Order: sequence, then C-alpha cells, then structure tokens
Amino acid sequence: MPATDYQASFLGRISIRRNQVIAMDGNHEQELQDLELFSKHVSERFAELLSSPDDVPFDALLSISWLRKLLDFFLCCEAEFKGILMMGNDPSQISKPPLDRLIPEFLDRSVKALDVCNAVTNGLESVRHYQKLAEIVVSALEQKPIGDGQSRRAKKTLTSLISAMNVDDKECSAAKATERSWSFSRRGVSSKDRVPEHFRSVSNHVAKNWSAAKQIQAMTNNLVPPRGAEGSGLASPVYTMSVIMVFVMWALVAAIPCQERNGLSAIHFPAPKQLNWAQSIIGLHEKIGEEWKKKEKKGTAGLLDEMQKMEKLGNILMDFTDSFQFHGDITDQKAEEAAAHAAELAEPCRRMEEGLLPLQMQIREVFHRIVKTRTELLNALDQVGKSSPPLL
Amino acid sequence: MDECQSAIPAHDGDLHVVAAAHHIVKALGTTKNLSDDLRKILIDLDAHLSLITSNIDSKGGKGFVEVEERLKRVERKIVIWESDRIMIWDSGPKEASDYLEAVDEVQTLIDSLRGLSMNENQKQKELLHRASSLLQMAMSRLEEELIHMLVKHKQQSEPTYIPSPSSQRNVVYNESVVSLDNESAKEASSKNSCSDECGEYIVDLVPEHVIPDIKSIAKVMFASDYGQEFCEAFIGVRKEALEQHFDILENGKLSIEDLLKMEWCSLSTEMNKWTWSMKIIFGVYLMSEKRLCDQVLGEFGSVNSFCFLEIAKTTILCLLNFGEAIAMGPQEPEKLLRLLDMYETLADLVIDIDALFSEDGGSFVRLEFHKLLEGLADSVKAAFNAFGVAVSSNGSLYPFPGGGVHPLSKYVMNYISMFPEYCSTLNLLLEDQHSDVASLVSEPQCGPTASLSTSCPMACHLRSITSSLESNLHKKSKLYKDEALQHIFLMNNLHYMVQKVKGSELRPFFGDEWIRKHNAKFQQHEMNYERVTWSSVVLLLKDDNPGSSSLSKSAFKEKCKGFSIAFEEVYKNQTSWCIPDPQLREDLRISTSLKVVHAYRTFLGRNPAHVDDKCIKHTVEDVEKLLFDLFEGSPRSLRNSRRMMKT
Repeated sequence: MPATDYQASFLGRISIRRNQVIAMDGNHEQELQDLELFSKHVSERFAELLSSPDDVPFDALLSISWLRKLLDFFLCCEAEFKGILMMGNDPSQISKPPLDRLIPEFLDRSVKALDVCNAVTNGLESVRHYQKLAEIVVSALEQKPIGDGQSRRAKKTLTSLISAMNVDDKECSAAKATERSWSFSRRGVSSKDRVPEHFRSVSNHVAKNWSAAKQIQAMTNNLVPPRGAEGSGLASPVYTMSVIMVFVMWALVAAIPCQERNGLSAIHFPAPKQLNWAQSIIGLHEKIGEEWKKKEKKGTAGLLDEMQKMEKLGNILMDFTDSFQFHGDITDQKAEEAAAHAAELAEPCRRMEEGLLPLQMQIREVFHRIVKTRTELLNALDQVGKSSPPLL
Repeated sequence: MDECQSAIPAHDGDLHVVAAAHHIVKALGTTKNLSDDLRKILIDLDAHLSLITSNIDSKGGKGFVEVEERLKRVERKIVIWESDRIMIWDSGPKEASDYLEAVDEVQTLIDSLRGLSMNENQKQKELLHRASSLLQMAMSRLEEELIHMLVKHKQQSEPTYIPSPSSQRNVVYNESVVSLDNESAKEASSKNSCSDECGEYIVDLVPEHVIPDIKSIAKVMFASDYGQEFCEAFIGVRKEALEQHFDILENGKLSIEDLLKMEWCSLSTEMNKWTWSMKIIFGVYLMSEKRLCDQVLGEFGSVNSFCFLEIAKTTILCLLNFGEAIAMGPQEPEKLLRLLDMYETLADLVIDIDALFSEDGGSFVRLEFHKLLEGLADSVKAAFNAFGVAVSSNGSLYPFPGGGVHPLSKYVMNYISMFPEYCSTLNLLLEDQHSDVASLVSEPQCGPTASLSTSCPMACHLRSITSSLESNLHKKSKLYKDEALQHIFLMNNLHYMVQKVKGSELRPFFGDEWIRKHNAKFQQHEMNYERVTWSSVVLLLKDDNPGSSSLSKSAFKEKCKGFSIAFEEVYKNQTSWCIPDPQLREDLRISTSLKVVHAYRTFLGRNPAHVDDKCIKHTVEDVEKLLFDLFEGSPRSLRNSRRMMKT
C-alpha cells in the first residue's frame, strides 16, 4: 500500500524533527524543506499518472485501476498536507492572515468535495448495472453455435445497455426514465420490438437541481495561486491541496455517471504552468478535457475506460445482432468475429467485477479522510480561538 | 441428464428395452398425486426416451420427426401469446401453468438436442436454433410477466400506518437560553419513542399469493440460464419500490453542503425524519425485502443476497450520508436530544443491519454503519460537553429584573430532566469521561458508599452541569447592587433547581443528600436575605439603654421615624422583587414577619406611654399586612397602600 508507506516515512520525519532542538531560523528552514518535499511528491505522483500507457489496458487513463491509483495518491498527498499544516507548525499560524481566510475557504471546498464523492458513489451503482447487462450479452453470445435466440437475447440486452448509458448522461433526473421504464403496457407495443425492460436510472441522492459540474465550478471559487511572500509560506500547500482536490473530483465526475455535468470541460484550473508540481496536473486536465469535449457532444455515460470499451463493443455487437436479424443467418466468419468481440467484452466486465467495489470503498475512504481533516482543522481553529482572550 | 445421454443405445436389440421403458414412463406420468419434482423427472425422461427412439429411427432416414412435432406443438403454445395483449398470469392459473409447462418442454428439447451435438446433423442444428429462438421469446415474455406482476402488486403492500413525523417533536430550541415554560419544554423534548410501537416487523411487500407465481417464473428462468435477466428485472422494480417508500417518508434529498448550512429549526425536523425513516426502512422495509428475496431466490445460491444488496444500496447510502453530515456538523448543545435519538435508533438497528448484510458483499454496509454509530457517539459527547460549556459560560450584562427564576435555570433544568430517558445510553457514552467529572463533582454520592443511581456517569455529569449552573448563577447574582436581592435571586434559583429535581425523574440521580444540601443552601440565602435587609431595621428599635424601663418621648419619636423610613424604603424596593414560588414566598414572609413584627411589637409594648397616632406611622397590624405585599413583582409606593388600608 503506497498510502501507508508515504505516511510512515512522513511521520518518521516529523518525529525526528521533534527531537531536534530548533532555533527559530532552523524551524523556518525545516518548514521550507517540508514544503519543497511536498510539492516534489505531488509532482512525482501526478507525473506517474500522466505517463500511464494507453496501450496497457489495465493501467490506461481513467481505467478503474488508474482511478484507484489517483485516489491513493490523493490520500497520500492529503496525509502529507495535514502533517505540514497541523503537526509541524505553531498552531496559531492557521488563524493568522492569510490562512485565516484560506483555511475556511479550503474547508468549504472540502464540504463540496464530499457531495461529489457521494454523487460518484451513487453513479457507480449505474456502472454496476451496465456491468450486469454486459455480462448477459457475453453469456448470450459465448454460446455455440450462435443462433437466432442468442442473437435476440443479446440484442434485447444491448438495447437496454446502450439506452441506459445514454439516459444516464442526458437526463440524469430519475423521474423521466422511471416513467418510461415501467409504465409501458403491452398495449401498443409490438411484440418484436418491445421497450427494453432493463431500464434503470441513476437515483437522485440529492435535489434535482444539484449539478456536479456547478459543484466543481464552485470549488474553484477564490482558488488563486499565492502571490509574493505568501508563496513561500503555508498558503502554498493549501493552494496545492485545493488544486489536487478539485482535480480529483473533476476527474471522478468525468469518468463516472453523475448528475448534471454540463459545462464540465469549461472548468478552468487556475494552476500556472511555471509551478513545477502543477505541470502534470495541467497535462492530465488537458488530456481528459479533450476527451470529454469529444464525447460530450454525442453524449456519454462517462469516460471510465472500461465503460468506453463496453460502449464501443456494445455498438459493434449491436450491429452484429441487427445484421443477424436482417439476414436470418450469418457466416461462420461473422459468428467468430462476434464471439471474439463478446470475449473482449468479458474483459471490462471482469475488471468491473473486481474493481468497482474496491473503488467505491476507496471513494468512501476519501470521504472519511476529508471529514476527518475538516474536523481536526475546525478543532485546531477552535483551540486557537479559545486561547485568545474571550469576548465575554 | 448427461448420464441418460451417454446411454444412447447402439444396437437394434436395445430398441425394445427403450420402447418398454418409454411405455412405463408414459404410464407413470398419468398417475395423479405426483409431486411436481417427480412429474418433472418423468417428463424429462419421457423426452429423452423419445429422442433416443427418433435417433434410432433416423437411421431409416426419417430423423427428428417426433422432436420437430413436439417443437411445433410448444411453438404454437408460446407464439399464440405473442399476439395477445393480455398478460398470461392475469388470464388465469391454468394459462400460466400451461405456459410454464410449454417452456419446460422447450428447455427439455434444447437439452436433449444439445446432448446429441456430437452428431453433426443439419436438421438437428436447425431444430436447436428454432428451440433457442423459442426459448428467448418465452424468456422475454416471462420477464415482462414478472415485471408486470411485481409492479401491479407492489402498491397494495404499503403498510398503512406511516405517520409523518408529528409536529410536536419539532418544537425548537433555537437558542441555548430561551425561557420555555415547563409545559412546552416537556413537549419539545419528548423522546421519539416509537421503537416500542413499530419495532421490527415484517410486512408483505408482495401479497402472499403472488409469491408462488414469482417463484415459478424464477425457477424456469434460472433453469434456462436466464437467471441474470430475472435478477436485473427483479432488482429494477424492487429498488424503485423501496425508493418510493423512502420518498413517502419525506426525506428531503439534501446535500451535505445544504445540511451544514441549515437552520436549526429545519435541521431538527430533518433529524427527526431520519430517525423515523431508519426505523421504518430498516425495521420494516428492508427486513421484509430480505424475506421477499429469500422467498423468491433462496433456492438459487447467493443471488438472493446479491439482489437484496442491489435493491437496498442507494436508499441506504442516502440514509448513511445524512447521518455522516449530522455527525460532522458543529455539535451545538441544542442538538443533544436529537443526536441521542439518532444514536439510540442506530444502536438499536445495528444488530439488524449486521444480520441483513451478513454476507461478504454487505460488509461495506455493516462497516459504514458501525463507523457512523461511532461518529454519532462522538457527536453526542461533543454536544453534551458543549451543553456544559454553554451552561457555565452563558453571560448576562444586566441583572435579571426582580431576582426571580432566571431563564437559564429553567432551560437547563427542563432540558436535563429529559436525560433520564436516555440514561443507559448516556451512561455508556459518558463512561470514559466519567472519572474526570466524578472528581470535579465533590458530592459524597460519588464516593464508594454511593448508591448505584447517584454514582453512575450520567448522575455525575448531571450534578456537574447543575454545579456549573450554580456558579454561573453566582456570577449573575453579582450583577445586583443590592446584596439582599442577590440572596433573593440565588434563593429563588436554588429553590427552583431543588423543586425540579424533587419533582422529576432526576431525583434518583441527584439523591437525597444533594437535595438536603441544596435545601440548606437556599435556606442559607433566605436567612442571609433577612439578615441583610432586616437586621439594620430591627436594630433601630433596639433598646439603647437596656437598664431603663422606657425611652424619652423624643428618643421614641426618633426611633419610630427611623423605623418608618427604613421600612418604607424596604417596602418600596421589595414589592417589585419577585418570588415566583408561592410557598417559598409565604414562608419568607412569615419568618420576616416573626422577626420584624415581633421586634416592633416589643418596642411599642415597652413604651406604652408614647403610643399615639401622631408619632406611630404604622401600627403593628399595618406592618404585618404590608409585609404581605413584598415579592409580588409589582412595585408599590407606601402611600397608596396606606390609603387603601384606611378605606
């Protein structure tokens, strides 16, 4: 577990430092070293994420395992950040300018991130549903020989799968999809092309007008790089951590079905390129942003690599079942191709089966971590507030 | 089944054996009172034997004729429904069982044809395709029937009693200091004790008589390897039904951001709704849903727990997130009772949650709720401490007019009188902070000789809160310039505390020793009041020269005048003071009267020669009566009262 490794080494450093007798200057120097190390680690971690090879499907950009790595790095950065902010320094510093303004803003951002975590956790339930549908398609088409029955079974499920993916994207409000899914009656529905029954929609966990994109946009409020003298103090890790948090939430929302994502690609990161640690994040942001722009127009459930593969193969197999229906039979070559595609479709299913629950639990871990840090920061602020003379 | 296949006879001589066996099977099949399973076996066996026969026949070139015939027969039975707009299960049990029988037959034919696949026969391949196609048609239909059935029957199964959280629980503690009269305070904090009323109880989410139908569809779909389709359709409808129930409970779909910004008034309502929803969703719906899943899917391995989890997850996450949002919010003292409700509700449900999600896939849910329970426990502790801090730090700039019972005393005493209802929970949660507080509260009850109820963590915390209240009241008393009023104020408030303790469930936690001690305290203030106010007045009447029998006229007159002025001064002041408790007021008046009137009477009695109207402004009777005007909280000037007395 890289998370614990980083934490352990970090805690080790802290304790070593505690044993030293440090003069005021030494203290400051130590702080500078910590900050430098922090941004070095951030830069290394995100460079690793950026260099993820596209040809290795397991680690591809926005694949489940990539997202898990991203969250892992988030947890590492977060632990280090908290250490710098709360352990090493005079606690009263967090109540002095500019931190007296930056910390409450950071906490505000944290709360917004929590809602994004919940929306994404909810969205993973939809992905789970896609997985189950795709598994049906696989089991229909892996039977030999593929006949009309198998083809129809696959087609029916594929129709559900493809429309479910589209519904999630375009109309995340549960109400519309729900009405359509269960209120149809047999009357007026021709027996051959029935409305797919496997329709299921993202259930709203928050109010209908909640928007993931707006939420993330709001997280970027007041997010500006520290200027001048502030740049060398604690304002800089607060800024860095904020950018990381916004980026992670943004990437999750781009990857996983989520309520209302209009304008996601328009979200601008105020991270200047001259900051070393920011370069990889900016690179990732551009790369994912491009991808999102491409997909946004025609609609997508999300950029999750496994889901995109599923969508692509789903469309190919849909064509196959259409031609099967049209011709009544197929050549052996076509059948073999279809079987190969079905086998290919089994791969993202397998990775979802293995990875979705751990991913969901990791998002939960991120959630709890953000809550914990928030509570600790609030307590620290409270303590500082108490030590100053009371108003009464 | 495979064993049957492997036994396909190769020799003509076996044909007779097969034919004989076939005959017996057919004869057995006509027997009535066969169990379903046995009948199924016979049908399967029948199919196999006829296939073997036809296979042997095919040597003669005829091939698969009987299979084709049978396929055609079931095809008619299945296809005929495709053009029909009426649902099969709505048409009647006969139609349904005929259909299921037909599907069984298709499956049997498919199994048999597959079993023969070593034989690369074009006809066989064609028949297999036809049969699979037919099976797909039937499965698709069954799925539709299932959805129709589940949707049609789900509405009827709503428990009828769901009340919306009653408004009386939503009375608000907006501030930490509000003067609530006892009545509304009691009402406001009345515990949400619906756990006794609803508890866990299982309802039929789908009417009992429909279950066998659903099961029969499940059976045939799983047998045909369409189990996944069944599960997805089942999950889809049940999930939505659960979400509808959840919506009926009026849980606002609120983001954490919204909840953290919410006014206490609305938040309190939401917290009540959550408590209620948890009980209904877990105690009733999920329990029932679990049973439904077990009933329908219990025979098919672990799918029942998988389906249950899928159905429940989104609703559970909603409830979980609300809990998390509350647990992370600032823990203000006014939240304490609602937090206790939430904690107790979850603590009661945790065993059920563990049982509902005992499988591996549900460990996530179990873990999260245990975490939430810890979070809520911390919140309760934090709110309890915040309450203590609020009690000791509540500050005032101005003295409370009249010296009566301060709103803080009322608020605190009414609020803590709700605590005994949460006694076991508070004892559990306050245990670890117990020793600190126990040492702070230097009551003898906390010693080893104390009884159980007075030495429990809650009792010590309660006494610690009242002692904070006492010291705060002392602070507040210093705001009065008049020392006598300081004593009246403390007497009133201490008396109020004692009365509250004596007249409520608090008594066993405070103990007789505490009551005795605090009785003594307020009596001390009573005496101090008398001393401060009246000693100097009475002193004016004192005989300067105890040896001589009587005073000179002028000295007498002087003393009389001094007394009158002092008395009138007291009268003018203290009629505006307030002793709300009638008994306490009465007692104080009597004891004052005894002291003052007695002194006055003695004084006058000692100087009978000078007693005339001119120099005695107030008769003994006047003074006695006037004393009864004190502490009524309505200022009077003496001239008025004198005039009144003369008329």
